[in-house]
Amino acid sequence: MGTREIGRTVEAGRGALTSRPEGRDPGKTLLNRPADRRSPYLSWRHLRIALLYIGLILGAVVVLFPLFWMITTALKQPGQAYSLQLLPDEPTLDNFRRILADYGFARYFLNSIIVATSAAFLATLFAALAAYAFAKKQFLFKRQLFLFLLASLMIPGMMYMVPQFAIVSQLRLMDTYAAMVLPHLANVFGLFLMKQFMESIPGSLLDSSRIDGASELQVFRHIVVPLSLPVIATLFLLTFQFHWGNFLWQLIVTNKESLYTVPVGLAMFRDAHEELVTLKMAGAAISIIPIGILFFFTQRLFIEGMTKGAVKG
Amino acid sequence: MKQSITEIFGDRFLKPLFLPVLFLCAVIATALSCGGGQKDAGEETGPVTLTYWQTYNDDENALFTELIEEYRADHPQVIIKTTRLPFMGAEPKILTALATRTTPDIARVDGSFVPKLATRNALMNLDEIGPGTIMENLHPVALSSCVVGGITYAFPEQFNGLCLFYNKELFRRAGLDPEDPPETWDEFIAMGDKLTDPEKGVFGFGMRNSLWWTFPFFNTYGALFLSEDGTRCVLNGPEGVEAFQLKVDLYRTHKIEGGGWRAGGVRDDMGFQNGKYAMIFSGPWAVKTLQAAGIDFGVGLIPRGPAGTSTNVGGNDLIIFRSCQHPKQALEFLKFMASEEVQTRWANRLGQIPVNVKSEQHLDFQKHPYLNVFVEQMKTAIPRPPIANYDELENIMNPEMQAALDGTKSVQKALDDAVRRINREVLGAAE
Repeated sequence: MGTREIGRTVEAGRGALTSRPEGRDPGKTLLNRPADRRSPYLSWRHLRIALLYIGLILGAVVVLFPLFWMITTALKQPGQAYSLQLLPDEPTLDNFRRILADYGFARYFLNSIIVATSAAFLATLFAALAAYAFAKKQFLFKRQLFLFLLASLMIPGMMYMVPQFAIVSQLRLMDTYAAMVLPHLANVFGLFLMKQFMESIPGSLLDSSRIDGASELQVFRHIVVPLSLPVIATLFLLTFQFHWGNFLWQLIVTNKESLYTVPVGLAMFRDAHEELVTLKMAGAAISIIPIGILFFFTQRLFIEGMTKGAVKG
Repeated sequence: MKQSITEIFGDRFLKPLFLPVLFLCAVIATALSCGGGQKDAGEETGPVTLTYWQTYNDDENALFTELIEEYRADHPQVIIKTTRLPFMGAEPKILTALATRTTPDIARVDGSFVPKLATRNALMNLDEIGPGTIMENLHPVALSSCVVGGITYAFPEQFNGLCLFYNKELFRRAGLDPEDPPETWDEFIAMGDKLTDPEKGVFGFGMRNSLWWTFPFFNTYGALFLSEDGTRCVLNGPEGVEAFQLKVDLYRTHKIEGGGWRAGGVRDDMGFQNGKYAMIFSGPWAVKTLQAAGIDFGVGLIPRGPAGTSTNVGGNDLIIFRSCQHPKQALEFLKFMASEEVQTRWANRLGQIPVNVKSEQHLDFQKHPYLNVFVEQMKTAIPRPPIANYDELENIMNPEMQAALDGTKSVQKALDDAVRRINREVLGAAE
């Protein structure tokens, strides 16, 4: 590519940049500044960007360091568990082998997948159905019922534990996946999140689909659900994360080790005074994989869901 | 104005949804209820089944599994059905089960939890069932957490206390005899001074700051926690103040303590393993980890104070819940676990202190060279105050002690404030 072609490309780019802000003085755009005036402007801008990057990198180091520590500790020999050394002397995968072979961690992992996935799916489904009714339907005491449900959010979750346990126990659901999942399916926070989002869907869109002959189920499935995908993904991720990390409830409704989930399995590595640190870190390293994968694939929708629901209209 | 569901949602909405929803409910009910029910078939008839919630670690659990097999062989009419719980989740699980009357027959709990359960009328009075002559052989210190208001509610199963662990390599480097740990607090301070080298980040001592970890200081000064009638906290007396002043001075005046108790500080066990702290307090549980880490360490008694050497008491007890339908068989199992034979095996396999004093003559000190120090230390150990809400004592004391260590309060003021709150909020004593 010759100099003339480069010049043309730059000109084209300049044209594109300068054409966008209509009515603005072209002399004030970045690329049209004379060289002698540009440099102090650029250096200040570069400094700001550099500072921003330094801040972001420092933030990332602070956030990522515990993960780094977790992984390197998982690779250490048990005798090096409390070592302040960052990297292991003799890296080993034996901790991962032991938690899978000797501690039944594969089973805990499977249990967590079953519980978290089914709970997230069902809670999201029920929240979506309820939110659709609250957002787009008219029925008696709708506002009062919604306020009543919202008021239940003010009660600390721990308060529900004993009554929920009593119900699960009376229904003879102890030591079942149902005991871990069922009590958390009515998710008022999810209902609120979805309702706010669904209210932003124009009613005319739903009306026009009804005029075209769509049934309510079709309206919900083909119009409401696709348009609410960001908030559905967000709620699914949040619910999955909650159940993936839930320790206490899953412990109290199970008396069989074969039904323990990952958080309960991780807690088994600690007794009154001592902790099997390297094994615990290996288990923790494995346990973050599903959340990581899920977030990786849904991050765009997640961010959209978290921000869009906040602005109605 | 009355409206039917059909009117509200529309017939077109309900009809197509009815079948999928019914199907979904059926799928949920079928899929989620798999995994077994609460009762085993045949549980009502045949041998007696005792449910036992335990919190053993891996090594303990391996030995316990062997013991259970032997117990079954000797007691074919008793089936012990065990559930292994994580230690940190046992207490909330038991309290939830208690609220819904779904407790097991037997449980292994931390000694501090027994008074709390006993005052809630959750436990079987073992004196009424007849614990028998084995009580005479149980270590009185270990038994202390089992007896509440003169009634035996539990059997000790394992107990321990803090001793002085010291790094022999750091002793050698400081020109000290690695076989001669400090015996008094004065020696402790003098040796700590020689061991401390702030430029290299090495300190003579690393400590924690909870009440339980501070009891060795109070006990060696003869400081009483409760008045003789047990109605008031008297820890702010001269002995208590002097004892805690020593702990504060180790950090603030003598500067031989490395700040292991501070948030963000290097914790005592971590600092000890990394050569940052030459001496720490720890117990039998730490031996295996330190040996695995290749640390050249020794164990000595807690340095003597005006009241001699002494330590605190921790450990686990076995309890029988009131809901147990077979208390005699349950008590037999408790006796088995506290028996001379089982305790001897427990101590010699795991290096723990036996709760049965008769086992002490059978201990293998060759295999566990530090065990004799632990056993010796427990002879002068002083149990925790027998208060139902022991956790509350920790919650009140710890911030006050922290304030004294930070220098924001004098020792006397910190203890006065803590004692005032304990008397008012925990003991319900008049000002």
